[in-house]
Amino acid sequence: MVRQARSEATRRRILDAAVELFSEVGFAATSLGDIVERAELTKGALYYHFDSKESLASAVIEETAAEVFDTINTICSSPSPAMENLIHSSFAVADLVTTHLNVRTGIQVARGLGEFNNIVAQSYQGALELIVLQLTAAEADGDLRSALPSDAVAETLLAAYLGAELLTGPTSVSADLFRRLTRIWDIMLPAIADPEALPFLRQFLSREALRHGQSTLQLE
Amino acid sequence: MQHTDSAREQIIRAAAHQFAHRSYSLVSLDDILREAELTKGAMYFHFRSKHALALALIDTQSEIMRNTINQLLANKLSGLETLVDICFSLAMQDVTDDLAKSSLHLLEAIGRTDDIQTRRLSEWVAAFTEITRRAAEEGDLADTADPADVSRLLVAMYAGTRQVSDLENRAEYLRHLERAWLLVLPGFVRTDRLDYFAQFVRRRSTVAIRTVGRC
Repeated sequence: MVRQARSEATRRRILDAAVELFSEVGFAATSLGDIVERAELTKGALYYHFDSKESLASAVIEETAAEVFDTINTICSSPSPAMENLIHSSFAVADLVTTHLNVRTGIQVARGLGEFNNIVAQSYQGALELIVLQLTAAEADGDLRSALPSDAVAETLLAAYLGAELLTGPTSVSADLFRRLTRIWDIMLPAIADPEALPFLRQFLSREALRHGQSTLQLE
Repeated sequence: MQHTDSAREQIIRAAAHQFAHRSYSLVSLDDILREAELTKGAMYFHFRSKHALALALIDTQSEIMRNTINQLLANKLSGLETLVDICFSLAMQDVTDDLAKSSLHLLEAIGRTDDIQTRRLSEWVAAFTEITRRAAEEGDLADTADPADVSRLLVAMYAGTRQVSDLENRAEYLRHLERAWLLVLPGFVRTDRLDYFAQFVRRRSTVAIRTVGRC
């Protein structure tokens, strides 16, 4: 039991050090030697847990995905209308990204590895599935226009969100991410929402945006 | 049926089921023992009397309600939105969960002892008042609305609606709650936000009715 705890603690130190370095100088410029030094461990200790830089990256990405999905699932399991949950969880994920270095770094690393990493592909697929589920429920609630292709809408939303994160690099103020996210919804809502539900949803967005120091566009 | 449940948990679950459907005086410890499939010894080790068991159920349910409230607070919606969510979440539990149902009956049966009922309701009002103050700061309340008064009203409204409704008719109970909210909102919500909150309440009640209809 003690051995397990120590082993887990070591793994944690390696991951934390990796996240720090990836965020400081980027994935490519970080070597395993750098990580060993930052974590104040031996090469042996590192190799016991991770056989390559790629497997380390995968672990960081996996943890990020787990936290993001956890955030989304918690909100989407509350007894509120699906469309509200979708909007609210997008802001909650943006909150997570701006406040948690490991999540922010995981997304950054995922972007770099892209098609070369299985975990990344799975994570994006998982995110899409979550969004499609919510959109389907939102349609049943009467909040979406009927006969919208939920796959396409989900892809568009995810792409826009990832794009917002890409544009909001590590040097940007976190307010930029919330502004971009608000804009995404400003533009998407009229396109996908049921006309009768739209005024309410726009107010819901407006209140959410305000809580993050943003104002919505006055579109007509 | 979870086999890893402790004996105490099994007793609580069986007791909740019994008290949810039959009145306190008619349920005996033997009834509960039979359902829990435990020995008299196991029962008396945890609970010396029916009264003690009833108190434990009420306490357990109180904790569940506190957790529900905390979870909803963690969602970080606005204060007033959170109050609506809390109300409907608890109402859904009232009609679907044995522990919640039994707790209601038990409070009626033994709530006078040690002023349990009064204390609990005061705790609620206090908890709600914190949230209502936030709502005031967020500009959702009318200037004239006092957070403590609003909280007392909302708790009374929720508890009272529960009293006057037939909880076996789930949809009707939730609709009563919705109508109550719609009636009181103009009493304390800022005029230009009334429309939004009326819709918010209706949307919540729709989801709630659909959710409990499925259980």
